[in-house]
Amino acid sequence: MSRKQLMSILILLIAFSLFTIAASPAQDPEPPEAPEGTLRVALSTFPNSLFIPLTAERNADNAATQLFDSLVYFNPEGELQPALAESWDISEDGTVYTFYLREGVTFHNGEAFTADDVIATWESGSEVGEWTDKYTLVAVEKLDDYTVTLTTEAPNPELFDTIFDFWAIIPDEYYAEVGLDGFQEHPIGTGPFMFVEWVKGDHITYTANPDYWMEGYPLVETLIFRPIPESATRVAAVSADEVDVVGRLSSEEAASLEGVEGVTVVSYPVTRIFYIAFNNLTTGVDQPTMDAKVRQAMNYAVDVDTIIDALFDGHGVSAAGYVASSELGFGIVEPFGYDPDKAMTLMADAGYADGFEMDMACPAGAYTNFEEVCEAVTGYLAEIGITVNLEIMESGQYWELEAAKELPPLFGDSWSASSGEALRRLTGALGGWDAAYSAWSDPAIDDLLAKISTTVDRDERKALYEELQVYMQEDPPFIYLYEPVAFEAVQDRVMDYKPHSQESYWLFETWVTAE
Amino acid sequence: MHRYLFSKLAQSLLLLFGVLFLVFMMVRVTGDPAALMMPRESSPEQIEAFREEMGFNDPLMVQFGRFIVEAVKGDFGNSLHFKTPAMPMVVERLGATVELAVAGLLMAMIFGIPIGLIGGFTPGGVTDNIGRFIALMGQSIPNFWLGLMMILYFGVELGWFPTFGRDTWHSVVMPAFVLGLPVLGQIVRLTRSAVLEIRGEDFIRTAHSKGLEPKTIYTKHVLRNVAIPLVSVIGVQFGYMLGGSIYIEAIFSWPGMGGLLEQSIGWRDFPLVQAIAVFTSVIVLALNIVTDMAYSIIDPRIRYGR
Repeated sequence: MSRKQLMSILILLIAFSLFTIAASPAQDPEPPEAPEGTLRVALSTFPNSLFIPLTAERNADNAATQLFDSLVYFNPEGELQPALAESWDISEDGTVYTFYLREGVTFHNGEAFTADDVIATWESGSEVGEWTDKYTLVAVEKLDDYTVTLTTEAPNPELFDTIFDFWAIIPDEYYAEVGLDGFQEHPIGTGPFMFVEWVKGDHITYTANPDYWMEGYPLVETLIFRPIPESATRVAAVSADEVDVVGRLSSEEAASLEGVEGVTVVSYPVTRIFYIAFNNLTTGVDQPTMDAKVRQAMNYAVDVDTIIDALFDGHGVSAAGYVASSELGFGIVEPFGYDPDKAMTLMADAGYADGFEMDMACPAGAYTNFEEVCEAVTGYLAEIGITVNLEIMESGQYWELEAAKELPPLFGDSWSASSGEALRRLTGALGGWDAAYSAWSDPAIDDLLAKISTTVDRDERKALYEELQVYMQEDPPFIYLYEPVAFEAVQDRVMDYKPHSQESYWLFETWVTAE
Repeated sequence: MHRYLFSKLAQSLLLLFGVLFLVFMMVRVTGDPAALMMPRESSPEQIEAFREEMGFNDPLMVQFGRFIVEAVKGDFGNSLHFKTPAMPMVVERLGATVELAVAGLLMAMIFGIPIGLIGGFTPGGVTDNIGRFIALMGQSIPNFWLGLMMILYFGVELGWFPTFGRDTWHSVVMPAFVLGLPVLGQIVRLTRSAVLEIRGEDFIRTAHSKGLEPKTIYTKHVLRNVAIPLVSVIGVQFGYMLGGSIYIEAIFSWPGMGGLLEQSIGWRDFPLVQAIAVFTSVIVLALNIVTDMAYSIIDPRIRYGR
């Protein structure tokens, strides 16, 4: 063997060993035994309150929920899980719900959790948050210290969702002692984190609850929320490692964070659907859009995928009907898809081969790039002969007109929902004269929605949602557009942080690696 | 003196009434708060009930009368967003805003006055040219842009200062600099031109000719006269800084009144916007009175009361 050969073998050997060192998996960090480290989460506005019945929007909710537990919760997969109630029964007729409470749970101040606290939660919520309007609850009763029953007027399939969303259980003795103002100053629950301080406009600090009922949680010692309303500053703060989690970023801001060391950008579809609505109640009466064929044609005429590519860098999902992809009953229908030939045929069938003219309105500045979306829709409709006169309006004026049902026969908007089901969005947008922001009424839809709202069985409800969606493809009350994507940026040391389609934070199982 | 103070107070009250009227009208032309405050799932009846409850259905003049009566008592109602009384929340944020404005003003004075003096005494010199350049920059760079650029460079790139918040004394440096820069520019220009003007006055020439030490002339005669326009500008600018830090507070997430105002406009939170606007106006008017009073102390020639 020549020296040259020897050298090459040696080099190969060294290269190979280097390769194997590099390729051997790094030691996966393990979650800590006891809570440790600090997690700093940015909020996009100032929370108004940490008392759940008074929280005004998602940021306040996200900050507040870490202090509390509800009777039940839906995990990020949408499955119903026991929380402060270990189990429950539902009566045959679906109107009496019995909850069997977890024993041995204490509040942050040491008060024991019993049925009285559930009653106090309901009473304070009804008094402060005007809950009685929202619920069909007739009575909340204590059977014994660890059993409560909720009685409803009619079967209420959304009861578990509303309980999860709003019933943050509060300690009755403490609440009675300090009152609403005192409670807002220093909120106390059974949740994974305990309140330390709230400097208004600056930060909210929590510490881990050492006696949390869920064994082994939470995993961080200190949790800090920092309101940073300006999104460019949120980007800077996460780049400079001054916060660990930031949300509500635009796709441009998210792109600017690609390549920043130690920061990962995550994106996920949020539960919100964008659409162009038709009107069959006021301004749309006697217009060509009263014909379902025309409305189908208009759906086929708009190339939603291209709009998503061009205006959102491909971050978005073409809406398949009016049920979002994370909601019950999704998946039965496909998006219309771009098919101008079919659109032309349908227009001809409806007797509008030469097209027609119509007014449309969209709100300005309310949603990312939505003005441009409306302009694109206008352009696509022109291709099948529909001349749309688009008016972009200041959003305040826009929503006033929308509530008065005085917008033009075509109008663009979006609708979110936070319950895991599309029911509230559907009744809100399609409730006709009974709903403030609806311009559409259809007895067939009303009928199906009424059935959904009183069917407790999940599978039956799913079947009803599917039936409704099939109907709403044949007789579409909207031009379905897209589900948007939310962007967050997270420091790499943050583990088990799971963003959620409703933009809610689940932080009891999140932890940070020691560096 | 007392008569002057009295007429000044009366003028201020009249101005305040004008401010109250403007503030009241302006928030009402921006749209219907009910449409924004109520969830989209609401029925028309619920929205109507909300309007009725908040008194938005009454004639504007009735609403304005009610507003004035309550405002005099310091009660601006509950914030629609926070659901707690608006005024205490504004007062709670005052400390941070004052801290920022004082820091900005000190920065502007500490750098601005010496640069201006040097420029005035040695026009055309190196310091003068640099000073005039800074003055021009300070008054022409949009401060929200400068704020973002500073966050990117000194906060993210170099990591010298925090990008946001109010944690340590480090936090105040960047927002105070951005807020103070236009004022610095103004102070430099004003000091410089005042020195130049006063140096050419007859009494300075007389002082020179009667053989006074230049040091005495500068400290006793020139500086004292420069102080008069400076005090008035600083008084006015301090008021401007207290009320005009909206974008700077928003960009740096500074927990003051300005950041709160920026958010509350987005929420259409009428009571909160009104409380902040009126509160800020009262401070500015009070500062103007204090400034006027300060004149008489510095410059006995100004005889008030005629």
